Amino acid sequence: MIDIQNVSKRYGAVYALHDVSLHVEKGTVLGLLGQNGAGKTTLLNILTGYLAPTTGRVLLDGADVLLEPEEARRHLGYLPEQPPLYDEMTVREYLRYAAALRNVEKRSIPGHVDEIMELCGLSHMQHRLLSHLSKGYRQRAGFAQALCGDPEVLVLDEPTVGLDPKQIVEIRSLIQKMGKGRTVIFSSHILTEVQQLCDEVVILHDGKIKTTLSMNDEVDSSQNINVLLTVAAAEGSIVSRVNGLEGVRKVQLQPSRRDGQTTMLITFHQQNEPERRLFALLSGLSIPILHLSREESSLEQLFLKAISE
Amino acid sequence: MRTVFKRELAAYFRTPTGYVFIAIFLGLSGLIFYLGNLRTFSGDLLTFLAQLRLLCMLLCPMLTMRLISEERQKKTDQLLMTSPVSLGSIVLGKYLAAATVMLITILLLNGFSLIIILYGKLYVGEWFVGHLGFVLQSLAFIALDLFMSCFGKNQITGAIAGFAANFFLWLTDLLAGQVSIGWIRDSLNFVSLYARYEPFQLGQLSYASILFFVSFIAVCLVCTFRVLDARRFSEGGAA
Ligand SMILES: Nc1ncnc2c1ncn2[C@@H]1O[C@H](COP(=O)(O)OP(=O)(O)OP(=O)(O)O)[C@@H](O)[C@H]1O
Ligand SMILES: [Mg+2]
Repeated sequence: MIDIQNVSKRYGAVYALHDVSLHVEKGTVLGLLGQNGAGKTTLLNILTGYLAPTTGRVLLDGADVLLEPEEARRHLGYLPEQPPLYDEMTVREYLRYAAALRNVEKRSIPGHVDEIMELCGLSHMQHRLLSHLSKGYRQRAGFAQALCGDPEVLVLDEPTVGLDPKQIVEIRSLIQKMGKGRTVIFSSHILTEVQQLCDEVVILHDGKIKTTLSMNDEVDSSQNINVLLTVAAAEGSIVSRVNGLEGVRKVQLQPSRRDGQTTMLITFHQQNEPERRLFALLSGLSIPILHLSREESSLEQLFLKAISE
Repeated sequence: MRTVFKRELAAYFRTPTGYVFIAIFLGLSGLIFYLGNLRTFSGDLLTFLAQLRLLCMLLCPMLTMRLISEERQKKTDQLLMTSPVSLGSIVLGKYLAAATVMLITILLLNGFSLIIILYGKLYVGEWFVGHLGFVLQSLAFIALDLFMSCFGKNQITGAIAGFAANFFLWLTDLLAGQVSIGWIRDSLNFVSLYARYEPFQLGQLSYASILFFVSFIAVCLVCTFRVLDARRFSEGGAA
């Protein structure tokens, strides 16, 4: 669906992107991770045809975004880093405009826009001027704009930035919902968000793709399982007991919130049921378990590893 | 293109720009009409229209300055430039919106012709030629200013670039008189909007001038297209 071929982008003397190639299959939700200045926005701007690459090209559904704009962008929705809102328009007018730009049939525009506003929680704001919206609602309006015309490819540049926690959850679930049957690329620096939503993750650093991984086999491929454990017992002998457990590689003490509690991050070898082993041990010692969870921190480790290379 | 055109036209009247433009234009031309026609009991429409050139030169940049710069500043061009709309129709839609505001103004300007009809005599031929010339000339200024506004980093510098170009074209006649090198003089004379307008002012229908103005507009629009297209390669966003 999306085919990025050897794309480089040079601003004066600096390369913002360096020979980036990426192929995204139809129906994939892909997360683009990277530090500030890694080149995420640049890549997305090139992908959507806003910028031209210095070398290389981008095909959307087989059509070149720059040479065949009408063909290639027919199925594209883009939420740029800064939502592209016209201050003098109301939410409703704006979305109707966006829908018209994307060639939605004139008769079906009002219904289409109503649907999208409902989806993005904008219905009660529809007659407000865009310049009067709060930051979170501006972001939503930008998101709604990207959904106009029911595009098959959604490109979102840091969609949850600037939102309050409730809105973040809402937008995430919206991305999840939209991701069904569509191709979505979004950038973020929030690892948990990427982990939660994506099928595939690309880590961009200094304008180069460092790692591409599929979230489905990522967990298997990492050799370790991390478990976060909090027990109602003072540190004492408990750490060495856990350390002595079969399959444990490493125990890291974490700061605990209350006296009389111990929190630790336990790294197991790839093996079955670490939770069961811990439970057996602790129930034998009659120490209550306050918290026990698997830490999916492997992405974080991968990320740090990728960018430190 | 229709979509872009409609939004731009609505934006003129959603913000004060459109009203202010029309008000200033009509106000000042009223003053010119008063001084040049009413006070002297002259029914000379052609001279009146010719004098309005100065207003075009001053005010047209105001009409075009937001079309490109504002989009770049607010980054709304990211929506336009990634939509399934060709750059050509974006430029054309924007140009036609500005041109429409100008045409509305010219339509209202006919109030002055009405005064001439009421108190004097107006020749239809004169009216037609005069207005044709004036429409062509003002559309040419708008096309030029649209192109020039691409070079400004914001609305103000865009407008200033437009003024500069307008005045340069005005000065070409004077310059041409001073230059002794043949081809420079010829080319200065060639682009002179003033000289091209002269036949209209005399009440002559000049096909050469019509052709010139139309091609002038076309060239400006194509250049605007080229500059915006090249910008994708040269820089990123609102630089
Ligand atoms: N218009 C420009 N002119 C010159 N350099 C630029 C321009 N735009 C971006 N850059 C440079 O290109 C690099 C990549 O920028 P980009 O905006 O793509 O980063 P990003 O990954 O989106 O960062 P962030 O997480 O802060 O949004 C940066 O080093 C930046 O300084
Ligand atoms: Mg960015």
